[in-house]
Amino acid sequence: MKRLAIIVIGFLLFGCQEEVDLPLATIDGIVPVIEAEWTNEPIFNEVKMSLAQNYFDNKEPVIIADATVSISIPGTEEVIPFIFVNASNSYKPVSDRRVAEVGETYELKIEWKDNLYVSRGLMLEPPTLDSLTYKFEEERIFRDEGYYISAYGKIPFKEDNFYRIKIIQNDTLLNDRDDYLLFDDTFGLTFFEEGLELNYAFKAKDRIRLVLYRLNEPVYDYFNQLVGLLFTDGGLFSPPPQNPDTNIVTQRGNDQAEGYFMVSPIISQSIFINEEEPDPEN
Amino acid sequence: MKIQSLPFLGVFLLFFGGFSSSAFSQSQVLNGTIVDVNNFEPMPGASIYWEGDVSTGVVSDLEGKFSIQIRELPDRLIISFVGYQTSNRVINPKDLDKELKFFLSPEEMSLDEIIIQEVRPDEQVKNLETGIVRLPIESIKNIPALFGEVDLLRSLQLLPGVQTAGEGTTGLFVRGGSADQNLIQIDGAPVYNASHFFGFFSVFNPDALDQVELYKGNMPASFGGRLSSLIDVSLKEGNREQIHGEGGIGTISSRISVDGPLFNNNSTFAVSARRTYADVFLQLSNDEDLRNNRLNFHDLSGKFTFYLNDRDKLSISSYQGRDFLGLDEDFGLGWANWVSSMQWNRNISDTFFFDLTGYHSEYKYFVEFDDPEAGFEWKNRLSESGIKAQWTKLRGENLQTYWGVHSQYYHFAPIEVNPAGGSAVQPLATNPKNGILNNIFAGMSYNFSSKLSAEAGLRWGLYNQVGPGVDYLYPDDNPGENEVILDSLSYKSFESIKFYQGLEPRVAFRYLINDQFSLKTAYNRNFQYLQIASNSSAGLPIDRWILAGRYVPPIRSDQVSLGLFHNFDDNRWEFSVEGYYKDFRNIIDLKNGANVLFADNVETEILSGDGWAYGLEFLLRKNVGKTTGWLAYTWSRTWRQIEGVSLGQKYNPRYDRPHDLTLVLNHEFSPAWSAGLTFVYTTGQAVSFPIGLYESDNQILSLYSEFRNEDRFPNYHRMDASISWKNPNKGKKWRGSWNFSIYNLYGRKNPFAYEFREITNGNINYDPDVDGPAQTVEPGIVMTYLFTFLPSITYNFQF
Repeated sequence: MKRLAIIVIGFLLFGCQEEVDLPLATIDGIVPVIEAEWTNEPIFNEVKMSLAQNYFDNKEPVIIADATVSISIPGTEEVIPFIFVNASNSYKPVSDRRVAEVGETYELKIEWKDNLYVSRGLMLEPPTLDSLTYKFEEERIFRDEGYYISAYGKIPFKEDNFYRIKIIQNDTLLNDRDDYLLFDDTFGLTFFEEGLELNYAFKAKDRIRLVLYRLNEPVYDYFNQLVGLLFTDGGLFSPPPQNPDTNIVTQRGNDQAEGYFMVSPIISQSIFINEEEPDPEN
Repeated sequence: MKIQSLPFLGVFLLFFGGFSSSAFSQSQVLNGTIVDVNNFEPMPGASIYWEGDVSTGVVSDLEGKFSIQIRELPDRLIISFVGYQTSNRVINPKDLDKELKFFLSPEEMSLDEIIIQEVRPDEQVKNLETGIVRLPIESIKNIPALFGEVDLLRSLQLLPGVQTAGEGTTGLFVRGGSADQNLIQIDGAPVYNASHFFGFFSVFNPDALDQVELYKGNMPASFGGRLSSLIDVSLKEGNREQIHGEGGIGTISSRISVDGPLFNNNSTFAVSARRTYADVFLQLSNDEDLRNNRLNFHDLSGKFTFYLNDRDKLSISSYQGRDFLGLDEDFGLGWANWVSSMQWNRNISDTFFFDLTGYHSEYKYFVEFDDPEAGFEWKNRLSESGIKAQWTKLRGENLQTYWGVHSQYYHFAPIEVNPAGGSAVQPLATNPKNGILNNIFAGMSYNFSSKLSAEAGLRWGLYNQVGPGVDYLYPDDNPGENEVILDSLSYKSFESIKFYQGLEPRVAFRYLINDQFSLKTAYNRNFQYLQIASNSSAGLPIDRWILAGRYVPPIRSDQVSLGLFHNFDDNRWEFSVEGYYKDFRNIIDLKNGANVLFADNVETEILSGDGWAYGLEFLLRKNVGKTTGWLAYTWSRTWRQIEGVSLGQKYNPRYDRPHDLTLVLNHEFSPAWSAGLTFVYTTGQAVSFPIGLYESDNQILSLYSEFRNEDRFPNYHRMDASISWKNPNKGKKWRGSWNFSIYNLYGRKNPFAYEFREITNGNINYDPDVDGPAQTVEPGIVMTYLFTFLPSITYNFQF
């Protein structure tokens, strides 16, 4: 709707744009940013920690490499320690044999300086992703001409239906603000059985990988709010901008953190687009 | 019958005039009617007397009629009305057998001064009203307008105490209230979305309007339902003499109105229409994508009035307006209002009046997407039906009383999403919401002495949310904590779901210091049982209206005001200063990332809290002479405090603009040439700018303070100007006039929005996918601004 309003403005109201300079306030203190992902796939399991910077600083983010990071299972003695890895600028599990298991609740703990950050997440059962298929579509409103992929599967769950799909096109993660595919069961979930069409126009000979996450609701909300923030244009039709609600609690210390702790199953499938017939791959 | 809004003394004189004349037999009196030569409207309140004997003069009644005792004939009769040329006519004995008609011509002054003089020149000092502004339609027409489109709501924004959300929008924020706290009504029926083109124009065709009254302070007890203001718009009645028309051809729309007698001179009609032709311009575009779009709105209105007899008048009015935005043939967004009312006014006696209004107002929107895989139709409709009866009794010179009932039925239909054939979209429907609000009201005004007058009223609202509908149950009866639904309750039609009631006292005092100064004070409580669940500042056609219910209590405001009113230079100038303090309870905001459009349990997305606002409003206004207009300055602050927003600390909503200065000038150089000038200066909007940046999920995100709206847009200022030429020859059947206006005369780049984003290669329009690889990517600020030096021309005509 907001975009429609912009269309109207563009059509009729002679809007103009230019770059300007405004005096902006700066960060009072420090704001750590945590991005923690704990899944059933070792390669995705990591914790990133950095510091937010002033708006016009325009420097590489300051990476926090001296934190103590671990994931544990509440009610047990089990602790999975993480260690900082320079190559990835992130903390990785000391042992990559440990992954998230369905039904377990995991607790993230990060100690840094005088601060202790804690968050929890439940590893949910993944849905079924049966196959991918594609077909060529002519240009229509809101979509270009190209090959459109449909994902077929089954989501049998009555609750905790919060999903995210990431698309990797020829080894490149589609990562624009338009590329967020987040859905819940507001409009039902049978469309997943009937074929969830991805709103991308791919080319022939593209290799596409679809990665499906089943999220805890706070993390789903975080990404939804993140997308809302990316689309905020500061105008009258936008709600007041707010940072996405983090699910990380500052249990000790004064430096409130931004970011998220995501515990999620990951399932994926790939497909190669021939010019003729679909060719599903696993 | 708006008898209570007239000054008591004026009403008394009007009726006394009619009464006293009827005491003489036909052979001793001269009967006549006073009408305006331009529109043939009857002119109440004109003075009629024999030359040299003002003391035996009479005043024309509400229908412009008078009877005056004769002296020895022939004699010279004088008829005068402020703002009109005095008529002076010799009456002979043979004239006694006729029903004489006297046509008064406006003095060659600007139209403003004529209309303003419909009320007494010292009205603002003498009457009891505070926080009310009457803006003559003809004054509105003289204000330089965006695209030349004379706009009622945008004109009201030029008054003290009325804020705007931003450039070009018609939303009104009155004394700290949000836009949904204004009751905008046409002939007694509410309008739920009074805007076209996403708020850039209002739904009111100025040619169709008779008058507008803005109550921003002490609302009479006969009105209620919204916290902050009443914008009471009356459609024009047709004249009873002959067909008359007016219209205009403008830059983006054309309009026409026709009025006159219907079957005879006891019934009249007035119809009007307006349509934009933006889509016609789109057809001229070289861009095929643009050519395939449709973008238009129209308004239609009609009013039919029947003078059933000397005591009864029946009016039927209807307004219908619709917007449509179509992209290609596949996508459409439309919204429409249809508002109808019927009013019966009866003069039970010369001192006892009865008014009955029945109305129905409907608003609906739809979104259509024609697509084989994802096509759908999304629609919603809400309506309000009501009936209001009011009795008004004059009890001597010093006491006026009124009482009545007002019943309203709200029906908010389910929001429906229906998939097109073969579409993968799943159907969706929320549950309907319904409410019944019964109000009982009574009030009186009393003159304790020649100096002290008072008005007191009480409105009692009895609200019931009723079925059919569904309520959800949550742990601890708290929907906001974890959104877990324990159970649900279904209700049958008209089964009570939740009941609220509230007393709304209204009190006002006026102390007349002398003929030129008065002090007025008022206290006013209002309840509002419905509101928009939104936290954006501008209204959208798909905004979700919600009714008070189990988890959303009615919102409440209490306002106290105190004002000093002063007229000087023989009432040519009016000055007033009014201060107010307003307290809000149970106002809502939305949670971060809230989705209210399709939620059946909207209560889980809502935050609730309080607010307050205060301010001082200065107004200097000149009503007569070649130069008219006003200078207004408002200092005001508006605050909200809602748990879950801004860490629970107080914050300013976007429309909090402490300083607001407005200058409106009209000058008539000659009967043919006139000019208008408007200057606006306000504090910039309260907004949140980022304080930093951080990376999350491979995105560069702006970091915002936890405290909302601590930053400001730059101060807003703008000057508009217009010049008009009209054919001064009033005798011509067709009278044309030209208006040339310039919006934002000196091209001020007032920000509409600031976008905080990365800028590639120092070019805000650089797209690496199209223009090549990025050399530099830096955080920047992109300002969007609208309407710099926007000329427009309009041809207006009358026939």
